[in-house]
Amino acid sequence: MTLVENQLPVLHALRCGGYSGTARVVLATGLAEFEAESVLIDLASEGLVTREFGAWGLTSAGKAADAARITEELDSAGTRAEVTAAYERFLVLNPELLELCTAWQLRPVDGVPTVNDHDDSGYDERVLARFADLHRRAGPVLSALEAALPRFGRYRPRLAGALGRARVGELEYIADDTAAYHTVWAELHEDLLATLGIPR
Amino acid sequence: MNLVRPLSPLSTDSAELVGAKAHGLMLLQRLGLPVPPGFVVTTRACRAFLAGGRFPSGFARELRTAVAGLEAATGRSLGGTPPLAVSVRSGASVSMPGMMNTVLGLGLTTEATAALAAETGDSRFALDSRRRFLATFASATNDIETRWDRPVPDDAARQLELAIEAVFASWNTPRARTYRELHGIADDLGTAVVVQAMVFGNRDEHSGTGVAFSRDPGTGENTPSGDVLFGAQGDDVVSGGTTPLPLACLARREPAVWSELLEALRRVEASYREAAYVEFTYQTGELSLLQTRRAQLTGAAAIRDAVDFADERLITRSEALLRVSPRHLDLARTPRIAPTADVLASGAGASPGVATGMIATTTEAAVRMSAGAEVILARPETSPHDMSGLAAAAGIITATGGAASHAAVVARSLGKPAVVGISGLVVDDTHGAITVAGRSIQEGTIVTVDGGTGRIALGRAPVVTGAADAYPNRLLEWADDVSGDRSRRDDAGRLEAARTKIRASGG
Repeated sequence: MTLVENQLPVLHALRCGGYSGTARVVLATGLAEFEAESVLIDLASEGLVTREFGAWGLTSAGKAADAARITEELDSAGTRAEVTAAYERFLVLNPELLELCTAWQLRPVDGVPTVNDHDDSGYDERVLARFADLHRRAGPVLSALEAALPRFGRYRPRLAGALGRARVGELEYIADDTAAYHTVWAELHEDLLATLGIPR
Repeated sequence: MNLVRPLSPLSTDSAELVGAKAHGLMLLQRLGLPVPPGFVVTTRACRAFLAGGRFPSGFARELRTAVAGLEAATGRSLGGTPPLAVSVRSGASVSMPGMMNTVLGLGLTTEATAALAAETGDSRFALDSRRRFLATFASATNDIETRWDRPVPDDAARQLELAIEAVFASWNTPRARTYRELHGIADDLGTAVVVQAMVFGNRDEHSGTGVAFSRDPGTGENTPSGDVLFGAQGDDVVSGGTTPLPLACLARREPAVWSELLEALRRVEASYREAAYVEFTYQTGELSLLQTRRAQLTGAAAIRDAVDFADERLITRSEALLRVSPRHLDLARTPRIAPTADVLASGAGASPGVATGMIATTTEAAVRMSAGAEVILARPETSPHDMSGLAAAAGIITATGGAASHAAVVARSLGKPAVVGISGLVVDDTHGAITVAGRSIQEGTIVTVDGGTGRIALGRAPVVTGAADAYPNRLLEWADDVSGDRSRRDDAGRLEAARTKIRASGG
């Protein structure tokens, strides 16, 4: 079965993001909503995508089709070594990102991790400054990925957008939204595993 | 001077100079407990290294002298015959994220490995130890960000220098800097490095490794708890290659080691006058302690321990009151699984609260089952694919990961109880079952998750809140006795009034 235009990005958005509404597929692919919807319906009629619990998800045939096409894409780009190198650099940053999300949610009070109620703007500022620093250090990794496979270029504006919104006070854009930094980062992690065919 | 110091019970070196880990080891030595011989490369050497980009002058000589001393003490030779193998560990008592942690079996060059095989008549053991050395050395020294990629030299002295450099350099990784920034730790302290003769937990069937708390760190109950790995080393915990078992399994398998460990816990606890934590390894039935510190406790455990220690006359009631903060009281009021519950296993409590529901092993099952009932999602670890399942579930348990894992971050964001990193939990999503602590549990079975104390229990476990709990109430009665104020106030007010009065009277 061959995938027609836009089918692979949509399939792969569901592979990396899990069950998603159309709006989330739009964010991940950059397609217009009507385009994304029509591709999703086509994929569903081919048995690759299913609509359950009010969201779109992959069938096992869809997952297999995605794995085959994503491997093909990487092989024809001939950039497996570059993506692997970038993935290794990503793995250095990943635990720090998770620790920062944790620091955002919990802060030690009398040595006891306590829910961060975001009353102390000084503390939040410090965490966000470290987030900005991490994001800056992630920059070269994102560039290397985009150079290896242009579709990775979608992550940079999504991550930058989430951080920008958090910094102007939309605190849910760190870890509490489907477009939050942590959510997009976890999707990128899943994408790297899927692209390189590394099982969890 | 002061670049390398002995690990000695007679030492008066400060924790600032030798690091908290070495300081704890010297306490163990003073208590007459078995600690492998070794030495410490000090924080002063670290600061000099970080400032100058290389070891300070005189360091090489001090290191050679310390190695020679260790060789004499053990009757072994680093890189020679009979071979001396050492562990190299960073000096903080609590590991700092991003810092190089441990190299095991350093000194096992090709030649030394052959000598170890000849000496023990066990080449499988010698090669396994060499493999562990190569793996821990590579992960310590191949820092991808600083491009520190170097081959492993077959020269034991050079291996030691590189491992010490790796610990020092890791002080300044961005991840470690971030941790210090957020925890208010000064950037210029530097770290010490502890070098000790190896104890091989992988030596034979009467060897192993583990961690132990003198009292349950989740509940405060006066029962030792922890994990043990048989025939294994600490790196197996990190690699996940072996499943840790509850500490009590040691009692049946190695009764002599068990009773020696209990005695050690008792002595350390009596010295701290607080609940204690130790890391241990035993080789061919012989116990060694590798680290100790005060145990980190949940709110409920901190209160129970303070009350019990006062009742046991290990501390005064005033000391008990000073040990408990209003924050601990808050936490102890959070609902949690009652001590009478049939507790299956424990892990890290990542998001507090209690939830009861049917086990589901996949996101799809969780969503389907949640239409009619409460569901607990059990996964090896979580990924974006599990988001719908996490959203549908009332509680989450995972086999791997810590308080900073994908599952933990998402659970807190959704405000759902979660226990992560449950050692021994196996999720079989093909057959819809989980195995934990030797029990197989089918999808649909009711379990209760306590994300505060990090425990999971079979069935609809009874739940207690602090209000029904005797310990906080007794402590607060003591607080009123001290303050003399019996008016109606909130708990924090009662505790604070007593603490203020005790502090004013000088303790």
